[in-house]
Amino acid sequence: MVTEWKHSTVVAGVPWKNPVGTASGTFNLEACGRFFDVSEMGAISTKGVSPVPWDGNPTPRTVESPSGMVNAVGLQNPGVDHYLVDELPKLKALGALVVTNVAGHSDDDYAQVVEKLADSSADMLEINVSCPNVSHGGLSVGSDPLVLGHLIERLRPMTDKPMVVKLTPNVTDIVPIARAAVDAGADALSLINTLVGMSIDIETGKPFLGNVTGGVSGPAIKPIAVAMVWKTRQALPDIPIIGIGGIMSAEDALEHLYAGANAVEVGAAALVDPLAPLRIAHDLDILLDSRPQLAEKLRKGQTWR
Amino acid sequence: MITETTPTTRDCVSKGFLPTRRPALVLEKKQLDDGVFSLAVQDSYMATHARAGQFANLYLRDLSRMLPRPMGVASVHGDAVQFIFAVVGEGTQQLSGLQSGDHVDILGPLGKGFDIREGKHYLLAGGGLGVPPLIRAAQEIQSIAGAHTTAIFGYRRNHFADSIVAEYSERTLSIDESEGNVIDLLDRWESDATAAGESTDVEILSCGPNAMMKAVAQWAREHGIASQLSLEARMGCGYGTCVVCVTPTVDGLKKVCLDGPVFTAQQLGW
Repeated sequence: MVTEWKHSTVVAGVPWKNPVGTASGTFNLEACGRFFDVSEMGAISTKGVSPVPWDGNPTPRTVESPSGMVNAVGLQNPGVDHYLVDELPKLKALGALVVTNVAGHSDDDYAQVVEKLADSSADMLEINVSCPNVSHGGLSVGSDPLVLGHLIERLRPMTDKPMVVKLTPNVTDIVPIARAAVDAGADALSLINTLVGMSIDIETGKPFLGNVTGGVSGPAIKPIAVAMVWKTRQALPDIPIIGIGGIMSAEDALEHLYAGANAVEVGAAALVDPLAPLRIAHDLDILLDSRPQLAEKLRKGQTWR
Repeated sequence: MITETTPTTRDCVSKGFLPTRRPALVLEKKQLDDGVFSLAVQDSYMATHARAGQFANLYLRDLSRMLPRPMGVASVHGDAVQFIFAVVGEGTQQLSGLQSGDHVDILGPLGKGFDIREGKHYLLAGGGLGVPPLIRAAQEIQSIAGAHTTAIFGYRRNHFADSIVAEYSERTLSIDESEGNVIDLLDRWESDATAAGESTDVEILSCGPNAMMKAVAQWAREHGIASQLSLEARMGCGYGTCVVCVTPTVDGLKKVCLDGPVFTAQQLGW
């Protein structure tokens, strides 16, 4: 039996059956598809894909932190060509709405991936200019408004698909970055990616992670994420926003929505319970019953703030 | 975080999906050695489906330490599943404080276990806290026609699992650090078997520190014996989605939690 969702949303003109998606890097079909029907999610944002396969960072790649974790996977992925014949068609065959996360080490990398995805069955593209764990590209692109604007201006004409730009919190002020992405043609923003963090083993005096630094996620970062969604919404009243960061429950999702998000993505929660994204979607569908004004705005593609 | 089975869980299970994280009743907690504990929990799904070498995620009650503690299944009795673990930090310290009647959240069984066949003789080469999954292997092999096991366990000090594995394994050779190591025991087993005219047509299942397992794999290769090795790795999710616990194999990087934890020596190139 398929859930009859009562409360939907719209992100950059794309209707989502509910406001909850999976966050990139925490969803893998082979692993997660064993636990729930992926078509039930508002959207599935897949692991960042690069032009060629990437091996990622040396292990260890994660360490627990208070109410969170630090990870440095380094976008290990089998490359866009494999994605196009494997995970993407499988997800589409299952009826999922797919947001394809695009990774690169250079502008040319991003362009190569977008070119290959331009006529694919992906529903939306999410340009990952915020990964803190790759040496070039990622965060280094997403923390400079001029560099980011230049990249998005190049990518935007390459496809008709709605283009989401995923922003980093590792900046003094997220608003100029967000504005640069929007001015360059971004159809929506997703925020936040992980915060740069580090953990040291006091027995050895050495960093825990093979990559030395990593990205912090989990409930610890929720207030930071909510503040950044709110600030971005205040500055840019009309741009669709996908709120990400520390969402472990439907109540947490509501905070993001009240801050001005059109939808949310669930990341770290999925790592501690495979069913968390769908459970949060179900619980939110109930919580929105008693919040008709918010529900009505989301349904129309509007937001609370 | 989750202390009850939600409607979402019930709905997904009714559609044939795997059961997600769920609370399990603690049936018994026992101290086996200094800092080593046995925890038996009630979970009929795990009890029915867990094969030797597979593991479960155990979770702490609150989100301040949110990542799972993956633990190999040590034995199954009815709908009770036993884990044996060492206290290595605050998380395992909390788990060691569980008492019968408490609940602990679990997810599993996870990973790919040992490939066990009929009619074979298996040497179970274990070291330290790598021993528990081999107890489950002995238990499972005991129920398979014509198959049997010899346990070859190395301990730091106390031989805490000998009496447990003796229920399932025909023979146990064990050693502690003051006496020698698992390779010494494998040599002893081989000379005993040769002297007694017994077959040395065996396969090795191993779990323990990686350095020990590499030595076991090398010993096996030198003796023309196949080996399967259950790797330990620092995991994130433990179920295959976060790509944290990868290991190099001859076919490239593989996820220890999903493609393993059991790999053959050939797969690892050991």
